[in-house]
Amino acid sequence: MLQAIKRICGDPLGLVGLFLVALMVLSAVLASVIAPYDPIALNIIDRLQGPSFKHLLGTDQLGRDLFSRVLFGGQVALKIALISISIALCIGVVLGMIAGFGPRWLDNIIMLLFDTIRSFPTVMFALATVALVGPSLSTVVVIIVITSIPTYGRVVRTQTLSIKSNEYIQAELAMGASTFRILSMHLLPNVVGPLFILASMDIPTVIALEAGLSFLGMGVKPPTPSWGSILNDGYNLIRNTPWPIIAGSIPLVLVTLGFTFLGESLRDLIDPKLRKSL
Amino acid sequence: MKKTDQKNATLELSRRRFIQASGALGVAAATGGMSQVVFADGKKILKVRAYGDLRSLDPAFSQGVIDEEIQSSIYSKLIQYKPGREWGYQLDAAESIEQATPTTIKFKLKEGIMFTGGHGEMTAEDVKYSFERIIAEATESTNKPDWGTLKEVTVDSKYEGTIVFDEAYPPAWNIALPYIVGNIVSKSAWEKAGGKVDTTTPSVSGPYMHKAWEPKQRTVLARNPDWHGGSAEFDEIHILPIDDESTAQIAFEAGDLDYTRVPLGSVSNLKASPPENSTLEEYPSLFYVWVGMNVENEQLSNENLRKAIQHAIDVPSIMQASYFGAAQPSTGIIAPGLVGHREKSLVAPEMNIAKAKEYLAAAGMEGGVTVTLDVLNKAANVTTAQVIQATCAQVGINVEVNLHESGAFWSLGDSSAGERYKDIQLILNRFSMAPDPSYATAWFVTEQKGIWNWERYSDAEFDKLEAAAKAESDNTKRAAMYEKMQDLMEESGAYRFITHEATPVIYNNGVKPAFRPDGLPLFRYFASA
Repeated sequence: MLQAIKRICGDPLGLVGLFLVALMVLSAVLASVIAPYDPIALNIIDRLQGPSFKHLLGTDQLGRDLFSRVLFGGQVALKIALISISIALCIGVVLGMIAGFGPRWLDNIIMLLFDTIRSFPTVMFALATVALVGPSLSTVVVIIVITSIPTYGRVVRTQTLSIKSNEYIQAELAMGASTFRILSMHLLPNVVGPLFILASMDIPTVIALEAGLSFLGMGVKPPTPSWGSILNDGYNLIRNTPWPIIAGSIPLVLVTLGFTFLGESLRDLIDPKLRKSL
Repeated sequence: MKKTDQKNATLELSRRRFIQASGALGVAAATGGMSQVVFADGKKILKVRAYGDLRSLDPAFSQGVIDEEIQSSIYSKLIQYKPGREWGYQLDAAESIEQATPTTIKFKLKEGIMFTGGHGEMTAEDVKYSFERIIAEATESTNKPDWGTLKEVTVDSKYEGTIVFDEAYPPAWNIALPYIVGNIVSKSAWEKAGGKVDTTTPSVSGPYMHKAWEPKQRTVLARNPDWHGGSAEFDEIHILPIDDESTAQIAFEAGDLDYTRVPLGSVSNLKASPPENSTLEEYPSLFYVWVGMNVENEQLSNENLRKAIQHAIDVPSIMQASYFGAAQPSTGIIAPGLVGHREKSLVAPEMNIAKAKEYLAAAGMEGGVTVTLDVLNKAANVTTAQVIQATCAQVGINVEVNLHESGAFWSLGDSSAGERYKDIQLILNRFSMAPDPSYATAWFVTEQKGIWNWERYSDAEFDKLEAAAKAESDNTKRAAMYEKMQDLMEESGAYRFITHEATPVIYNNGVKPAFRPDGLPLFRYFASA
C-alpha cells in the first residue's frame, strides 16, 4: 500500500489527484467539525452576502453559509458515490462472473439485460424514475446502481471469459473444485484490479450525475445540501451574486480532476502496459 | 414596370430610408442608442417578449394570457381594458354600451369598422356570432365558463344588439367583454373557415394583423391599414416567446427587446443601476399563492393542527427570501384593487410561535408531528418551501418537502388521475386570475373537490355565498360577500395565504407602453415616446 502511494506520489498528476481526493474525502468526513455554521440554518437577514471572514464563500438566498453547505454537500456526494458504486460493483462482479463462467443461455440473458439497461440514456432514465417515485437520496442511489451495473458486469465478463480457459482453471475443474471456489479463489482476484480503476474514474461521473439531478430539483430533497442544488440556487441568483455558482462549481471541478488524475495514475500502476497509451 | 419607374421607386425608397435612418440616428443620439431597435430594418418595429408561444388565434380556444396579448391586438372588442393603475374599461368597437337591466346589456357599434380580407363591415350579427359560438355546445370552447350565464345575443338593428343573460352576471364587465371571449370575429370569415381557426386567422378588425408565426421564434403582427381607429403606431410588432425571465432581461439589455417582464430578483439591482435609457415599473399582480391543507387527510383533518401550521408559517420571511422583498404578503385570494379584497387577514402574516404551539397542543401533538409539503419544482417555490420547513420546525412541525415536475404536480389533486390526491397534506399552490373576484373563489366550492379544490374544502355557506356573489350587481354587497368567503376559508385552517407576487416590467424609453393594472401589456396601445 505504502509502495503504491509512493509510486503515485512520484507521478505529478497522480500526486495532484491524490491530494484533491484526500482533500475532498477529509473535508466531507470532517464536515461537522470544520463547518462554521449549520448548513440548513436560515438567517434571512444575512442573505446573498459576498465572501468575508464571517462567511468564507458568502451566503445564499436564505442566508445559509455557502462554505458549510459545500462541505456538507461533499458529504452527500461522497456518500452517494461510494454507496452506489460499491453496490453496483458487487452486483456487476457477480453477474459478470456468472455470465462469463456460466452456460451460454444464461450469458445471453444477462447480456440482454445489460444491453436493455444501457439502451436508455442515463439522464432520461433518471428523470423518468424520479418522476415516477419522487426525488430522494435513495432514488439517486438506485438510479446510479442500475445504470452502473452493466459497465462493471461487462468488464468482469470479458475478463472471466479470457481467464476461464487458462490451464490452472481447467486443472481446478478436473480436480473437482466447486464453481464457487473457482470464482472466488481464482477468478475474482484476477478481475478486480481493473475494476478499481474503473470505479475511481466513475466516481466523478456519479457525483456529476447526482449534482445534475439535484440541479434539476430531482436529486436530494431540500434542505439537504448538495453541490447541484447550490448550483441551481446560483443559477437563479446569477444576476444578484456570482458566489453560489462559484461555490457549487469549484468542488465539482476539483473532484472531477482529482479522481481522473488518480484513476489514471492507478491505471499506470496496475497495468504499466497501458501507461500513457490512451 | 418600366425601367424609369423602377429607378424612381428605388430613389423614393432610398430617400425614405434616408429620412428614417436620419430620424433613427437622431433618436439614438438623444437616447443613447436604446431606441434604435424601433426603427430596425427601415421599419418601425416593436420587439416584445411573451412568456410562451402562440397557441391559438381563435378566441374560443385561446389558451390564456399569451394568446390574448396577440388577439387583443388584432381583434376588436366592444370594450377594452383601460391602461393604467386602476381597473376600468374604455370603448372600442362599441359607440355605447350599458347595463340595461340586471340580465341585459345593450350596445351600439361604431359604424365603419371593417374586417380585413373583404369580409365587410362589423355588424351586430358578428357580435352575436362571436359570443354565441363560444357558449354553443357544438363549439366545445374551453373558454365557455367566462361567459357565465350568457343566454344569447339579440340583434336589434344593423349596429345594435342586446346581450341577454339567464341570471345577472356582473363579471361580464370584468372578465368577458374586455377579455378573451369578448373578441369579435367576422361571421362570414369564420363560417367560410369551417367555424374554427388555429394559428392563422382569415380576418381581423383591430389595429394590427397577424402576419407570420415562426414556432418558438416569433409572432409578427403588421399594421392593419383598414383599422377604424386610424393608423396603428408600429409597422410591425414582433412578439418573441422567451420562457425564462432572466434570459429575457439579457435580451433587453442587449437591445433585442423593447419591453419585457423581469425577474423579481433583479428588481433591486435594476433600481440601483438601471440599463441606460430604460424605465422599470412595478405593478401588483393578480396571481395568488397559498399553502393549502387537505382537510380530508387523516392527519390534517385535525383543525387544530391546520391552525398550528397557519401560525407557524412566517410570510414576511418568504417575501424576503423568495420574492427579494419585491412582493407583499397577501390577505386572501383576491388582489388589491379588486372588489372583495380584504385589507387584513384573520391570521397575521408574521409567525406566532406561542399560538402555533398552543394549537399543536390542542391537536394533541405537543411532541411534534411530521407532514409533507408538495411543491412545484420552481426556484421561488423551493425557497418558499424551505422557509416554511425552517419556521415550522421551530414549533415542532417537521415538514418533508416533495418536489414535483410540472406534469406530476398538476395531477396531484386531480381525483380522476388516481389515488394520489389522498396523500396530499400540505401543498404550495399558485393560481392565475382574471380581474374579477369570482375568478378566484370559483375553484374552492364543493363541486370543485378533486378538480382544482385540492384542499377538499367544503362549506355550505361558502358555496351559497359564491353563487350569490356572482349574481350580485351592487359592488358594496358583492365585496362583503367575497370578504366573508375569504374569512371562511381562513377560519377553516385549510389555507395560509402567502402573496399575490408582483409584476416588474422594463421598457426602453423610446417606447411609451400601456399596461393593465396588473402589469400585463396591452400591445395595441403601445406607442413611440
